[in-house]
Amino acid sequence: MYRGRLEKDFKHWVGMGLLPEASARQMLAEYDGRESTFRAGRVLLVLAALLLSASILLLVAANWEALPRLARLIGIVALIWGFHFAGAFLLRRGNGGLAAAALVLAAMSFGAGIALVGQMYHLSGDAADALLLWIAGACVTALAFRSAAVTTVCGGLAWAYFLTVLSENGLGEIVEWQTWIVPALAILVVILVRLTDAGRARHLAYLLVVAWLIWLYIENSSLGFAGTLAVGGIVAFLAAAMPGSPLRPMALEAGSAPAFYSFALALIGFSVLQFEAVGLFTEVAAGAAVLIVALLGIALAGAQNGAVRYLGYAAFAGELLYLAFETLGSMLGTSGFFLISGLLVAVIAWLVIRIEGRLMRAGREEVSP
Amino acid sequence: MNDLSTKRRWLPPLVAALIAAVLQTAALGYMVESRASILRNGKEVLLKTVPVDPRDLLRGDYVILSYDISSLPPELFKGGLPKAPQEVTVFVRLAKQPDGFWSASEASFTELAPTDDSVVLQSQPFTYYPSSSEIPSPINVAYGIERFYVPEGEGRVLEQARNAEALSVNVRVNDAGRAQIRQIAVEGTPVYEEPLY
Repeated sequence: MYRGRLEKDFKHWVGMGLLPEASARQMLAEYDGRESTFRAGRVLLVLAALLLSASILLLVAANWEALPRLARLIGIVALIWGFHFAGAFLLRRGNGGLAAAALVLAAMSFGAGIALVGQMYHLSGDAADALLLWIAGACVTALAFRSAAVTTVCGGLAWAYFLTVLSENGLGEIVEWQTWIVPALAILVVILVRLTDAGRARHLAYLLVVAWLIWLYIENSSLGFAGTLAVGGIVAFLAAAMPGSPLRPMALEAGSAPAFYSFALALIGFSVLQFEAVGLFTEVAAGAAVLIVALLGIALAGAQNGAVRYLGYAAFAGELLYLAFETLGSMLGTSGFFLISGLLVAVIAWLVIRIEGRLMRAGREEVSP
Repeated sequence: MNDLSTKRRWLPPLVAALIAAVLQTAALGYMVESRASILRNGKEVLLKTVPVDPRDLLRGDYVILSYDISSLPPELFKGGLPKAPQEVTVFVRLAKQPDGFWSASEASFTELAPTDDSVVLQSQPFTYYPSSSEIPSPINVAYGIERFYVPEGEGRVLEQARNAEALSVNVRVNDAGRAQIRQIAVEGTPVYEEPLY
């Protein structure tokens, strides 16, 4: 974890005399005091809330006959009210961790209520619609309380919606409106993340968009689609990472995620272009495009963004090996192929060392102009 | 996981709790009332079924019901079939047969006018793909009454009745063409009767 590395580095700097020991101690104390710091206890609390809510959902699922169904419905509504007000009281007493857990339980109870009504009236074929209603209810809770934990629940529910649509209509087509709900939900989750300071939950939304695009491509694979993915990814990446782009400050403010996911999208786009390519020449051309995109990513965003850098290296190395295998593999036989790959990897290593050195120098110049 | 108490709040927590709880309760109430009103005011029809018995993890035991009107022969569509794939809703006119069961007498991709001696049922939306062969194949539709939840383990009884083809379902249909199961009977004897709430 970052905390461990920080402490080790501080010791090192204190030992070198670069940093007074008192300052190091104060800095660590400040870091530990931050509210956003990972706290195992708090995460466990929310996990406990999720387990408890699973038991509520399963109780509904068991079609429990000991109580008349109206009593069960009233019980669920009482849980919704109880957990919301428990969350409110805990907030007023300054107990944020427990409040987050109570609000997660509240949002999950609403889902249990929807499932119960579905069971009461034998509703069929609308699991996806039920999830949309659940998401809407969870959004209200997340916004009213500015709750990051409930925003994370919304992110999970957006994924559940995507998976439900996938499993219910395996033959998804672009014409179906449900397909377009998925990116709309991702945008909704990103908005919630910004409004509730939910930080890491944004990855749920970004991953959802990437998964959705890959699924769309699998369902409708065509050259045009692959090209659109590639161009769209490149444009998004340039918008997020190119110096001078008007969107760059906003992307940087959101952390390393926008540059990373748009970069990943561009790479996926060019990879599927290569998949679409027919004949050696077009395939090598598409492969070269992947290499250029990987280098572009490292050059534009690699210095500040470790995730982009490593994805860039991986894509570059993988693509070179793939091209070598496709073009030379059949001619050389296995041992010759390993010889060539060994040499190639050595060249890549040399390139990476050069690039890292350059990035490091650039970083140093920034510190001492 | 950010702490809720240190962020600037938009609403006092009690107000936030009230808003969220009221809206979520209202949503559940609307769901309940929209179904209960069909049971209360809908026109009653009797349908023939063919059930099977799987299990849904989240919602417990239920029996899947399939009706003779779930598969519509293309001849019923007097207005013709769409030529290109598209998102559709099917309207089906049900008429009472001499044996007491209701069956489809007409179907359409556009709304059908109601008459005194028939009931118009509306299907759930689906994507229609024209069949590529010369002879159009029957169109399978769902009406939202394809599931019947039973207490755990009791699905077997209905499954056996299905094997004997002895299962009938009373359904209420409202003016908008939405259907709600009111009663399930085995060989004419009611086994499950649905209360309003």
